[in-house]
Amino acid sequence: MEYIIHLAILVGIYLILAQSFNLTIGLGRMFNLAHVASYALGAYVTALASTELEMGFGRCLISSALVSGLFAILLGGIALRLAGDYFAIGTLAFASIVSALLINWKSVTKGVLGIPGIPRPEIGGVALYDNLQFGYVVGVLVIVSLTVLYFVFSSPFGRVLRGQAEDQLAMMALGRDVRLINTLGFFIASAFAGVAGALFAYYINYIDPSSFSFSEMVFLVTIVVVGSPGSFWGCVVATFFLVLLPEPLRFVDLPSSILGPMRQLLHSIVLLSVVWFNRAKLFPAQREV
Amino acid sequence: MLEVSDLHLKIGDALILNGVSFSAQAGDSIGIIGPNGSGKTTLFNCLSGFVLPFQGSVSLRGENITHTPPYLRAELGVGRVFQSFGIFREMTVLENLVVALESRAGVLRTFFPWSTTSRMIRAQAKEFAAQVKLDGKLSQRAGMLSGGQMRLLEIVRALAFGAEVFLLDEPTAGVSPKMKDEVAALISHVQTLGKTTLIIEHDINFVQSFSKRVLVLDQGRVILDDSPENVRKNDLLREIYFGK
Amino acid sequence: MSREIQDATLWGMDIVPQLLVNAIITGSIYALVAVGFSLTYGVLKILNFAHGHLMMTGAYLFYFFTVESALSVPTAALATCAATLVIALLTLLIFVNPFDRYSPMLPLVTTLALATILESCVSMIFGVNVKALDSGSSAESIQFGSVFITPLQVVIAVTALMMLVLIAFLMHSTSFGRRVRAMSERLAAAQALAINSPAMKGLVFTLGTVLSVYAGIMIGYETNLQPTMGHGYTMKALAAMILGGLGNLWGTILGCYTLGVLENFAVGLDFGAYSLPAGYKDAFAYFIILVVLLIRPEGLLSFRRRVA
Repeated sequence: MEYIIHLAILVGIYLILAQSFNLTIGLGRMFNLAHVASYALGAYVTALASTELEMGFGRCLISSALVSGLFAILLGGIALRLAGDYFAIGTLAFASIVSALLINWKSVTKGVLGIPGIPRPEIGGVALYDNLQFGYVVGVLVIVSLTVLYFVFSSPFGRVLRGQAEDQLAMMALGRDVRLINTLGFFIASAFAGVAGALFAYYINYIDPSSFSFSEMVFLVTIVVVGSPGSFWGCVVATFFLVLLPEPLRFVDLPSSILGPMRQLLHSIVLLSVVWFNRAKLFPAQREV
Repeated sequence: MLEVSDLHLKIGDALILNGVSFSAQAGDSIGIIGPNGSGKTTLFNCLSGFVLPFQGSVSLRGENITHTPPYLRAELGVGRVFQSFGIFREMTVLENLVVALESRAGVLRTFFPWSTTSRMIRAQAKEFAAQVKLDGKLSQRAGMLSGGQMRLLEIVRALAFGAEVFLLDEPTAGVSPKMKDEVAALISHVQTLGKTTLIIEHDINFVQSFSKRVLVLDQGRVILDDSPENVRKNDLLREIYFGK
Repeated sequence: MSREIQDATLWGMDIVPQLLVNAIITGSIYALVAVGFSLTYGVLKILNFAHGHLMMTGAYLFYFFTVESALSVPTAALATCAATLVIALLTLLIFVNPFDRYSPMLPLVTTLALATILESCVSMIFGVNVKALDSGSSAESIQFGSVFITPLQVVIAVTALMMLVLIAFLMHSTSFGRRVRAMSERLAAAQALAINSPAMKGLVFTLGTVLSVYAGIMIGYETNLQPTMGHGYTMKALAAMILGGLGNLWGTILGCYTLGVLENFAVGLDFGAYSLPAGYKDAFAYFIILVVLLIRPEGLLSFRRRVA
């Protein structure tokens, strides 16, 4: 039972994280490689705020979302001026700077040792040390976040975001400020990644830079690609599928040094095969004029 | 020589070519006109192999080349002069010609600059440069040339390469009025060598001076295929350019 | 005169020659890695995010042949070279060729997948801990005045220089190089001259990969090998290429040595309270990427503006 609750919480966190990533890479077709950096920022903000400043659950969550969102505005301010490959490079550089800071800014982040002893949140005076209770809280937040994201996806704003991906010039011609819309999309996506990070920090109690590595980024790309970029429900199904996929490996008697790489290998093979079979439809090129 | 039948092509969801058919005999010179967005350049891209049609076929000397990759079509003799200058700006004038001649000679025989073939090719390249009065600028970067000179270089490069079918996409675009005559003279020279030329051009007078036959494209179809005089007289032309 | 000397000691200038030597060695390694990255970008028009991972895999193969299979170094080098050729061709056939004509975003995704596949396979086979290639006596420093340098480092710098001379000859005096340059600059026009793109792509990609594997082996001797090292070197190559302009080969090479100088001096010089901790050496490259993208995306060290 405890194991099922654990999986449910994990799936919940990834639902928020992957769906918000889907907003930029899927809907807006912006190859943003800094989403995990937003997630990491959210996790570290909560970790620090709850241990050093002893801030409460709500305030931690909001600070995480805000810090990650502000990071996205900074990121967008630079990266959104760039097109194509340059965009991917710019966001990757941002992500790398964040991970370098996490490792090296030891006075704040404690470097590779990470931040231990993150307390579980208290709601109404009850600390949620029981995973089931914490799971309910995660569940509520997942439902709220996905509902908000669903409305973003189907709103006029979402349609403009999708439209600029297909034909940026046409959207500009329609009088839309594409930069502003993209930045806003970035902000929303990143803020939700911050929320996911906060939940992750609370749940695991201990965070270190290795949880936010490059392979985590590839995992998110896998989820979105498997679920078909830009598809809301596809992304939800893919999150369940991919988070649970390597779990049977747990029951095979393998040392943990093999288990981690095995999981990565599994994910990247799934990624490759899905891209292979859908190559004609994934990420159709911008229309040439 | 060149047989195009029923080409249909989509870019994204937009139907750009909607059943283009025509044929060209060896030595023909055909002008192609039509309003912006009528699919002229896309037709050329389709003939060069840069985009593939989802229906219809292209054949060259009876050989079906509809799905042949661009570099193999070039080997079969399809040459291309790009609207936005297809010369290599970072390379010298000489290198631009050498790279075309080498492409026919093969990479191994021309690998070392001191091989006999390489020397022969450099001599040939100089002759071609002299044809367009660029022999004084052999070691200049091609990007430093004027628009007209770049166009001359590109056409003479296709000639040096040994193209049989010339696809000329607006050869006078970006060329000063003074140089236009020289470009025109070079195209005439290409035609007297018996090459097949297809020319996209806005200026119908310019087309008339080269072509015995004009295709008018509109919305991805050939709507007229006639002599320049008859095309000029036809009311359809007025309609597509100026509305009804 | 005397003031200058005073300032020099104040700022720790006596280590400048040593830093310069270190910069050249770092730059040489980056150059060996980045040449293939830049050529691949020029000819194939893809950013190969797995470039550093291919380098890492090749270096591990060399480790396998020399240390675990106890082959002699020349035999192992030949075997590594052969294996690298196979891997590079398989990469092209499986991860690049089926995708690049559909959308430029697809190769970004597939090379990311390749990067993780390589990293996880190497981790499973060789373990995640560092492995060292034993360079024996060539790792012992020799002192020249105030500068320490090992024979290995001399080998790295000299082979890199030889490679650059060779590349210069190849690119500017042979038909192969002219084709590469033609394809990098204007692919469609090159194809219209029957320049055989699949074969050229294969040649350029394998050449670049072999060069980077050589760099990987040198890194293995100079420091050590780790399955996670690939990404960092991809980023360094990327930074150098951004400095020099995307697909601009000589700009990229200049970028490599510039990066070597900047990194070593930023971390090595004593700026008192503003000294940069050594851990930030890598972050420096990423920072450079952002700054260059912000002020001059066509490359800081490219003298000619590329016309689109």
